[in-house]
Amino acid sequence: MNCEVCQLKELEVEHFEIREVLRCILHTIVFHRALGLVRPKDVDLELFEITYVQCGDVELEKKIDERIDHFISWVEKHPNKKSQICLSFYEVKSKQPSWFTNKTERLYWEQWYVNLNVTQHPKHHSSKSHHAKVVVDPGESATEDRSSRRAMVEASLREVLFQIIKFVNEKKDHVPPISDGVIYFPYEITIPSSSDSAFGMDMIKRMLHSGHPTMLS
Amino acid sequence: MEMDRESGKLEQIVSQFRSKILHVVLDSRVPSLHRHQQQDSLSLSRVRKTDKWFNLVLGDRPPALENLNFSLRNLLDPMVIDIILVRHASCSSSVDNLYSPSAAAAAAGPSTETVIERWVVQYDCPRVFASPSGADASVSYKKIYKKCILLLRSLYTQMRLLPAYRIFRQLSSLNQTYNFDIVYKVSSFSHPFSREEEDGMKEYSFAPVEALPGCLCVSVTYHATLSDFNLEPLVSLPPKIITDYVGSPTTDPMRSFPSSERGAHATSFPFRGLRPPSSAPFQRPHSWSSGFHRGIPPTKTQSLAGSPPVYRTSPKPYDITSPPTDLYGNRIQNHRVSILQQATAYDEYKLSPPFSPSASPSTPTYLSGANPLLTRHCSETAPVTIPLPPTGRSNRYLSPNSSDPSRHSLPPLSPRSSKHDTSSQESPSGIRSYRKIEALRAGESPSGLSNLYSAPKVVRDSKDDSGRFSGLLSSSGSPRIGFSRSSSRLSFQDDMDDCEFSCPFDVDDVDVSDSSSQNTENKRSSEFTAQSNLVGKKSQDAAVGILVHMLRTAPPLRQDSSCYSTRSLRAEYEGGVGIASGFFMPRKTADALEELNSYREMKDLLLSKSGTQVRKEGMK
Repeated sequence: MNCEVCQLKELEVEHFEIREVLRCILHTIVFHRALGLVRPKDVDLELFEITYVQCGDVELEKKIDERIDHFISWVEKHPNKKSQICLSFYEVKSKQPSWFTNKTERLYWEQWYVNLNVTQHPKHHSSKSHHAKVVVDPGESATEDRSSRRAMVEASLREVLFQIIKFVNEKKDHVPPISDGVIYFPYEITIPSSSDSAFGMDMIKRMLHSGHPTMLS
Repeated sequence: MEMDRESGKLEQIVSQFRSKILHVVLDSRVPSLHRHQQQDSLSLSRVRKTDKWFNLVLGDRPPALENLNFSLRNLLDPMVIDIILVRHASCSSSVDNLYSPSAAAAAAGPSTETVIERWVVQYDCPRVFASPSGADASVSYKKIYKKCILLLRSLYTQMRLLPAYRIFRQLSSLNQTYNFDIVYKVSSFSHPFSREEEDGMKEYSFAPVEALPGCLCVSVTYHATLSDFNLEPLVSLPPKIITDYVGSPTTDPMRSFPSSERGAHATSFPFRGLRPPSSAPFQRPHSWSSGFHRGIPPTKTQSLAGSPPVYRTSPKPYDITSPPTDLYGNRIQNHRVSILQQATAYDEYKLSPPFSPSASPSTPTYLSGANPLLTRHCSETAPVTIPLPPTGRSNRYLSPNSSDPSRHSLPPLSPRSSKHDTSSQESPSGIRSYRKIEALRAGESPSGLSNLYSAPKVVRDSKDDSGRFSGLLSSSGSPRIGFSRSSSRLSFQDDMDDCEFSCPFDVDDVDVSDSSSQNTENKRSSEFTAQSNLVGKKSQDAAVGILVHMLRTAPPLRQDSSCYSTRSLRAEYEGGVGIASGFFMPRKTADALEELNSYREMKDLLLSKSGTQVRKEGMK
C-alpha cells in the first residue's frame, strides 16, 4: 500500500488566526477519514465566514486542540517562520519481534502537510503625501487593510478546503477497510519541535544533495 | 440465486446512496422542510436505521423525501435536484409582513425563480451487464460502500462551502424575514440551462465511484456568486428603544442606564432590517448538528444559553436585539469572558451612581426592582456584555486581546475634580445599594467585597487630594487593585488587560512618603493577593470594580477639603490623635468622618460575613 501525500496550499496567517485555521483544516481532514458512524457537527468560524464539519468526537476534538496548543507555543518561540504540521494516518501492523524492532509497526498510508506562514501584521503607518489633497485617516485605511487581508485569508482557506475535498475524492483506493466499531483511523499530528533548527536541517540537506561540504561564508 | 442477492445488494447501495444525497442536499438548502419539525432530546440521540447507511447520522428524514424515493424507483434514471431561489418582488414594508411573510409574498406580486444549484446523481450503467460473483463481489461491495462513504463526506463538506449555504442560513434564522425563499424540485430529468443562466455558473463533479457494472456519478452546477440577486431582509419594525434587553438595568442590577450624553445610542440597537445586506454578516450559531436544531421553536433555555442564538424568537421586542448580541456573545463565549471583564464593561458606561443627583430617573429602579429575570441572569454561566452599536464587521476581527474601541473611552482618572456634591445622605443609599448588590450576588464569594475593607494599614495619602473616598479606598482597597507598587498591580493589570481603567487608588495617584511602611504593605498586599486569588477571584474583581466606580463617582465633600482630608487621615491612622483632631474640625469634615464610620461599619459587616480577619491599626 502506498502512502499518499497531500501538500496543502500555504496560508499566510496572523498569530491569533492560527487556532481557528488549524481547527478548520484538521477537523475537515479527519472528518473525511472518520468513516465510522459519525454525527456531523457544523462549526462556524468566528474570524471567517466559513462553516466546517467536525465528526463530533469529543476526545478527538481535545487531542486536536492539544496539538494546536503545542504548535502555537512553538510558533511563539519561533516567530515569523514558515511552519508545517503533518497529519498522518497509519495502520498498526504487528511484526515479528527481534532485537532491533518493536512488535508493532506503523504503516503510514496518508500524510497531509498543512503549511502555514505565521506573520505579524505590520502596523499601519499613516501615509503622508507631498501633494496631499485628501487627509488620509490612518484608522480607516488600517481597517480597510485588515478587511482586505482577512478576505484574502478567507479565500485561501476556502481553497485549501476545496483542495482537501478534491484529494479525498480523487484518491480513494489507498484507504484501508473500515473496522467495525472504529470511528476514525489512527492518526498522528506532528508539529515542529523546539529542537528543530531550520538552518541545521538545510545544511544537512545541502550536504547530502551536493555531496561535498558546503562552503561556510 | 446468488447473483440476484448480489445485484440486490448493489441496488440497495445505489438506492440508499441517492436517498442519502437527497437528504444531505435538502437538509442544507431548504429551511422549510425542517421548520416545523419538533426534535426532542430522545430523537436527537437516537440513531435510526437510515442514519446507519454510509455511517452518517442526519436525523429524521423529511417526509417529502419518502415520497420522492418512491417516485424515483428507477435507479438507472438520473436524480436531478434543483435548488431554486424564489425572489419576491419588493413590496412596502409593514409590520404585518414580519409576522405573515406568506401574506407579504402573496401580496408582493410576481416572483422570480432562479435555479441556483443543480445536483445530478446518476448511476451510469450499461443495460446489459455481468455482475461480479462470489468472494469478489463481497469485497467489491465493501469497497463500493467505503467509496460511497467518502463521497458523501466530501459532499457534506462541500454543501457548506458553496454560496447557497449562506443564504440558507439566513433563511433559517427565525429572527428575520427576507424577500426571498428557497424551494427545491426533484425530478428524473432536467431542463438544460439557457446561455444566460449558464453564465456565472460553475460546475464541479465528484470523482465517480466505481460500482460495477456501472459507476455512481455526482455533479453540481452552481451560481458562483449570489450577490447579484439583491437578497435583502424585509424592513419591518421601526426603531424602538428597548429597555428590557438582557443585561439592561431593568434586568440586571449591576448596570444603570448610560448617562445622558450617550443617550439612546447605547440602548437602541440598530435594526438588522435597516442595514444593507452587504454589511450585515449572516447570523450563525456557533455550532450545531445538521438537521437537529433548525426550525425548532426556541425555548427559554435556548434564549438564555445563547447557543444557538439564532433561534431565539419570541414576540418580545428585546429579542430583536439579539443579532448584535450574537456577534459579541459568540466571541465572548469563546473567550470565556469573566465577570471581571463584565465589571470592566460596567465602567465603560460611566455609571452614574445611585446616590448621585445627576442619575437618570430610571436609575433607582434597578436597585429596588426585584426582576424575575435577575436570578435567571445570575445563574447563567456565560455573562453577556451589552454590545455597543456595531461599527462594522471589522470589530469582530480584532485580535482576541483587543477590546472594543469604546473600552478605551474610560472614566477619567481619580476624581480630583470630580463631582462635588456634598450631600451626605447619598452615602447611606450608596451603602444600601452596595448591600443589595452583595445580596444579589449571593452565589459569589463575598470575600471580594470583604477584601476591599481588609487593609491592614493605610497608605499615607499625603498627595491624594482627590477626596476622601479615594484616600479611604487606597487604604482599604483590594490589594490587587493597586495597593502596592509591585505584584498586586501587575496582577490587576493582567486581569484587566483590555482596559486602561485607572482607579482612584491606582499607584500613580498615591505618593507614599514612608517607604518602609510601604514595603510592609507590599508584603501584606501580596499575601492578600494570594488569598483573594484563591477565593472568588472573579467575584472579587467584579465587586471591587463596582465599588471603585461607585466610590469614584461619589461626590467628594469639598474641593478645598483636600488638606483637611489628608491631615485628618494622617491623624486618624497615627492613632490616638484622631478624636482630638476631629474635635477641632469644621462641621463638614465631621460629616465626612461620619461617612467614614459608616463605611467602616460596612466593612466590618462584610468581614464578619466572610470571616476574614481584619487587622485594626488603631483606628478610632
